[in-house]
Amino acid sequence: MVVDDHPIWRDAVARDLAEEGFAVVATADGAGSARRRAEVVKPDVVVMDMRLSDGNGAIATAEVLTVSPSSRVLVLSASDERDDVLEAVKAGATGYLVKSASKGELAEAVRATGEGRAVFTPGLAGLVLGEYRRIARSPGGHDSTPSLTERETEILRYVAKGLTAKQIAEQLSLSHRTVENHVQATFRKLQVANRVELARYAMEHGLDE
Amino acid sequence: MQASPDPATPLWRAAQVFRLLSCLYALGFQIAINDDLERPAIGWALFAVLVSWSVACAAAYLHGYGRRIAWVGAEVVVVVALMLSTEIIASDQWALDNQSWPTTLWATNATISAAILLGPVAGMTTGLLVTASNAVLKGYVSVDVGRNATVVIELAVGLAIGMAAQTARRAHTELQRAARLAASLEERERLSREVHDGAIQVLALVARRGREIGGPTTELAELAGEQERALRRWVSAAGTPVPEGVEIDLVTLLRDRAADRVSVSLPPEPVVLSAEVAREVDAAVANALDNVVAHAGADARAYVLLEDLEDSVVVSVRDDGSGIPAGRLEEAADEGRVGVSKSIVGRLNWLGGTARLSTGPGRGTEWELTIPRSR
Repeated sequence: MVVDDHPIWRDAVARDLAEEGFAVVATADGAGSARRRAEVVKPDVVVMDMRLSDGNGAIATAEVLTVSPSSRVLVLSASDERDDVLEAVKAGATGYLVKSASKGELAEAVRATGEGRAVFTPGLAGLVLGEYRRIARSPGGHDSTPSLTERETEILRYVAKGLTAKQIAEQLSLSHRTVENHVQATFRKLQVANRVELARYAMEHGLDE
Repeated sequence: MQASPDPATPLWRAAQVFRLLSCLYALGFQIAINDDLERPAIGWALFAVLVSWSVACAAAYLHGYGRRIAWVGAEVVVVVALMLSTEIIASDQWALDNQSWPTTLWATNATISAAILLGPVAGMTTGLLVTASNAVLKGYVSVDVGRNATVVIELAVGLAIGMAAQTARRAHTELQRAARLAASLEERERLSREVHDGAIQVLALVARRGREIGGPTTELAELAGEQERALRRWVSAAGTPVPEGVEIDLVTLLRDRAADRVSVSLPPEPVVLSAEVAREVDAAVANALDNVVAHAGADARAYVLLEDLEDSVVVSVRDDGSGIPAGRLEEAADEGRVGVSKSIVGRLNWLGGTARLSTGPGRGTEWELTIPRSR
């Protein structure tokens, strides 16, 4: 399923994916239509733009995953929409690709996302790394506050500096897959942290009934 | 009427209420003392002038056409003239024993008008003028403010009302400025949205398709990509207020270093440094990136990573190019070529930080710039 509010882009991405042999089961231009369609078609992979006609891609990611928890979300966005991308990862997106990526890169990213692997860019690694440091600094840390292991920090730094998973694997004498798993773990922990934070907020503000 | 509403309008209205009350007071005074005057008939005639002038002034100030120097000047002249006319209609002894016949309270109207129109200085000056007319009448200057507080009251009224008018005008100006700012921000944001949804999307698509087609089209794609990035920067700058003062955000500076072959990884939050330091770091990064272009080979890509470690800020600039063979740097230094590396190290030393270069043939180069935080 392709979600993008810009018709030219939506069609181009859908066509590219179809040419690469994927079945595009639905397209949507906003968070509302994305939720309604995902509920029906339960797509394996949702290619999500960050700027939508109603709200942003982070909101849409959360909504789609609520009605279709088995779907995986790949954010396809411009590099400048930085805060939104982080929000999307917190909402459960497992992949991020810049819009300037080529057709081949897009196909590979969709394939990887579908297989449950994380897709990431140096820019996203920098954001995630910075976000963990922000959390570590913020007062009132709980036991549930997520933090990175040394290995995860090391790997995120390598990713942020542009090393590929393969290069990192060589450098650290790990398997390619292990490196990817570490990155994925950092995403997942942020997502959990986000849920904890939301729950705490709800409790503190009496919204938990 | 005026183009924009006069912020002092409420003051003008209140002043006309005071004018009405002062006329009633003057009428009471007139009735009480008219029999004591030498020329009561002229007294009543002049009182008619007083009332007509008051009505004319009230109308002029309420409508707004009287709110200018000529009219207020005329009011001051009339007030002083009427005060001095006491000389004609009353005996010297009466003048000495009483206030001037139009009453000091009524004369205060001139002080108020001048203060509202021109501020505290003009208000106090007019107040002094009114008091001086009184003094001329009595033939002596009353310096005993304990017994006769007229001068103090006139000055106080001029000062207080003048300042009130000034404050009202300033507040109004501020408000207008804020409204204009808000309007221009809103307009910018609206433009940003349109640019983002239109031009940027098309440029991004052209860049992507162009690269796919390859050949000479790649060049067009790169041009489109460049414009896309420039517009994006403009759009994302539109939303954020420009930080003022001596501290700036290094994230914003480094974000502008992103290009086709330069990936910039940044933390989600601003990294605020003193402007001097941030500019120096940015310049060092620019040096390092120039180095990549010059030495790493045409296909090399560069990666910038900014990390905020609280007590220090670390910037890494890595490229995946051919790297610098061992001994090459020393060689260059021996030949007396200071080069870019020296400039980077120099900048970081000046900031009290360190610049470390790791490289090797085929391994690319990586600069790690560490800047300590003083606070």
